[in-house]
Formats: sequence, C-alpha cells, structure tokens
Amino acid sequence: MVESADRVERVVREALKIACPDIGTVTGSTHLSSELGLDSAQVMDMIMEIEDRLDISIPVAAIAEAHTLDDLCASVRRVAAGS
Amino acid sequence: MSLLEKFAPLAELRGALAASGSVPSIATPMDEVLSATEAVIDGRKVLLAGTNNYLGLTFDPECQAAAIKAVQTLGTGTTGSRMASGNYAGHRALEREFAEAFGWPAGIVFSTGYQANLGSISALAGQGEYLLIDADSHASIHDACRLSLATTIRFRHNDPENLARRLERLGEDAKRTLVVVESLYSVLGDRAPLKELVDAAQRHGAMIIVDEAHSFGMYGPKGLGICAELGLLDKVDFVVGTFSKSIGGVGGFCVSRHREFELLRLGSRPYIFTASPPPPVIAAARAALQRLLKGDDLRAQLWRNIERFTAAVTRLGYRTGSKDPGPVTALVFDERATAIAHWQGLLDAGIYTNLMVPPATPAGLNIVRISLSAAHSDAQISRMIEAFEALAKRLRPAA
Repeated sequence: MVESADRVERVVREALKIACPDIGTVTGSTHLSSELGLDSAQVMDMIMEIEDRLDISIPVAAIAEAHTLDDLCASVRRVAAGS
Repeated sequence: MSLLEKFAPLAELRGALAASGSVPSIATPMDEVLSATEAVIDGRKVLLAGTNNYLGLTFDPECQAAAIKAVQTLGTGTTGSRMASGNYAGHRALEREFAEAFGWPAGIVFSTGYQANLGSISALAGQGEYLLIDADSHASIHDACRLSLATTIRFRHNDPENLARRLERLGEDAKRTLVVVESLYSVLGDRAPLKELVDAAQRHGAMIIVDEAHSFGMYGPKGLGICAELGLLDKVDFVVGTFSKSIGGVGGFCVSRHREFELLRLGSRPYIFTASPPPPVIAAARAALQRLLKGDDLRAQLWRNIERFTAAVTRLGYRTGSKDPGPVTALVFDERATAIAHWQGLLDAGIYTNLMVPPATPAGLNIVRISLSAAHSDAQISRMIEAFEALAKRLRPAA
C-alpha cells in the first residue's frame, strides 16, 4: 500500500488533535514530548488512531526514534510503504 | 546535561504526590507488618487494603511452617541458577504440581512473576516472528517484547476485532505470532473478553499466552483462573502467573499444553541467568498452592467481601474502573487532587490503599485502588465501608 505524503501527515495531525485537543500551532519540528507534553501512553494511543485510519500495523520499534512530528510522519510512511 | 538530570521531572512528581501529608503515597514505608491485613505505617496501626494478598496466605500457618522447615533443612538460598547448582527437588516438584493442576504436560517456575513474563514471552517469539500485545499490558510484558527480537505490535485494549484486524494484516505470518493478553487488568480491575480473543488467535493460527497474575487463585474451578472458568484450557497455549499475589510469596510460573515448552529452559535468558528461588520461597509456594487447590473456603470469603464492598462504593456514587466486581476495585477520579485527597483521607482513617496517577495509568486516569483479601474479616470490611461513607460526605465521590 502506498500512502501519499500529504495523507499521512493529515492523518498524523488528526490523531495528534485527538490525543491533545487543546493543541496550538504545530510545525514539523515540534517535539512531541518536551514541547507538547505528550506522555508515552498518549503517544501510543495516537499511534493506534493512525493505524486504524490508514489500516496499517505500526511495530513499536518503528516509532521508537520518532521524537518530532516530521519523524513520526517519516516512520509512518516507511511502514505504509512496506505493508 | 548529566546522566542524572533527566530524572528531575520524577522528583517533581514525587514531591507533588507527597505534598498532601507526611506519608508518601508511593513506596509507602511499612514500619511493621502485623498480619495479612494489618501493618504499622508512620507509627499507626492501619488496615491493609492495598496489597495483592488476595487469599491472605502470607501468614498461613502451614505455609509459614513449610518455609521455616526448608530454611532449616536446605538453607536460606540456592546460590545458583536452575541450570547450575540451583535445581532442587522442591523446584521440580512445584513445576510438576502446577502443570498437573492444569492437566498440562509442561511447567516452568521463574524467580519472580516479572521474570515469568520476561522469560516466557521473550523466548517464545524471536527474530522474524511477531508479538501482538494488548495496549494496556503490564510493564513485564512490554519489557519482554523489548528483550525479544520479534516484531511487537499493539492492539486496542480488550478489543478482539482490533486484534483480528491486525492478525489479518499479518497474513501467513499470523501463524508465527504470539498473542499476549492478561485475564484481569490490575490497574482498573477489568476482565478481558478471553473467549473472543482466544477465538481470534485460533482463527488465524496464532498462539496465545494469558497472564493470570491477578486471577489465579480467585477464579474458576480450584482457583485455576479465568481461562479455566471459561473452559478455555484446551484452546489457550500458555498460562503465566505469579506467586506474589494469591500464593503470598515471590516467584512466577508458566504452564503449557505443549510438551515442547519444557525446552525453553535452554533458551530463556531470564530463566537461565539468574539464581533460582530460595528453598523457603519454594516450600511456602508449594504449601500455598495445595491450600489454594484444596477448597473454596478462602475464595468464598473473598467474594463475600467483594460483594459487600462493591455494593457500598457503588451506593456512595463512586466511579469504578470496571463493571465487573473483583478483587481489585479502582475508584476513578478526573482530578489528581481529588484522588490524592481520597488516598490521604483513607490513610487518616487508618486504611492503606494504592494511589495511581498518569503516566502509570491508562487514559490519564487518577485512581485509588482497593485490593480485598479473604483474610479481611467482616468487621474490617465494615470499617472500610464506614471510612468511605465519612469520606463521601466530605469529598464529592465522582468529582
């Protein structure tokens, strides 16, 4: 399955909005934990939302190094491209 | 930044949790333990309603006598791994007794419950294989996944359809997958839909391991757990459990209907590279297992206590983490301050419970957790209920 970059970013941002409803402006370099204050459980809930919307399974290790929104989008694109 | 600076936020959290009183709510110091249900905290005698001593066996005379005899005859420790000098007759007998209780051919004892998950899961699924785990799994399961070289994927908590969808995506690889679930989740006290989860795993050819840490001893025929209660022992592949809850000691076990499970002894690092449990621990666990299997009297008392207590907190308007009454009752609060006020109020009334706050809880919930025991007398349950009645007048329960 090949997902467009735009769709992946849109889905990631929608999932972020669900995990963090009061979120302000987020750029690609925004740090998910230190800037947005997401804890590990919130990040994992966000990943599940992304998985459901894109109909993919994201291995835990695939997002271990995803600290920013851009990192996360890149990880999701890699998984989507391989599924 | 030094290695230690990253711990600063934890110090802030510890400070916030301790701010309400002189006794810390995490790692609460027990000055003295008087019985299965009473201890001394901060110089005061308190009623214990925050342990995992579900059957009250820590002070069972037969378990105590077995431990004392083992210390006197076999010494205080084994000083060796099961693979070396620590493979005593008691260890082997306990493994046989667990396997026989389930009617299965294989069983392995581990040095802790944490290691039972770590050692079983990390060895069962390796490189090129898959672990599908419930999103709210215990830390020991997450750590097992990190130790394993398998690909780990989470599915939504207690959601068989979500599990099935992930198994479908794996296609043929589902046959090289271990599904990992708990029968009773200890933070909220909620039960898993085990029949549906087992069915999803079977439909796709995956194996399934069920952690019965908080249900073994309390549910099912002879207390064998929720898998046995639901008649799933011919479908579940592995059951894992701990000695530090209903058994009243320390250690863990994993049993299997597959004879080949015995070979894990040669490939499980947490089993191989640690000292085996000390003789008194094994002797007490054997006595506790026999006590637990022997009769339903302890379970009957525990369930009487559960019914009385659950009815009372429901009547008082408290929100609980699960609709199913069980040995764990999680009172859920939106605000951390309200949860802390309840925990402190109960301690002031001489009742020790557990306070649990994010990120250690699912969905950002603030929880006061009450664990009941068969050793709680009717009078002690009445005392707990009276404390909650007084507290509910002062603090809005569901706020």
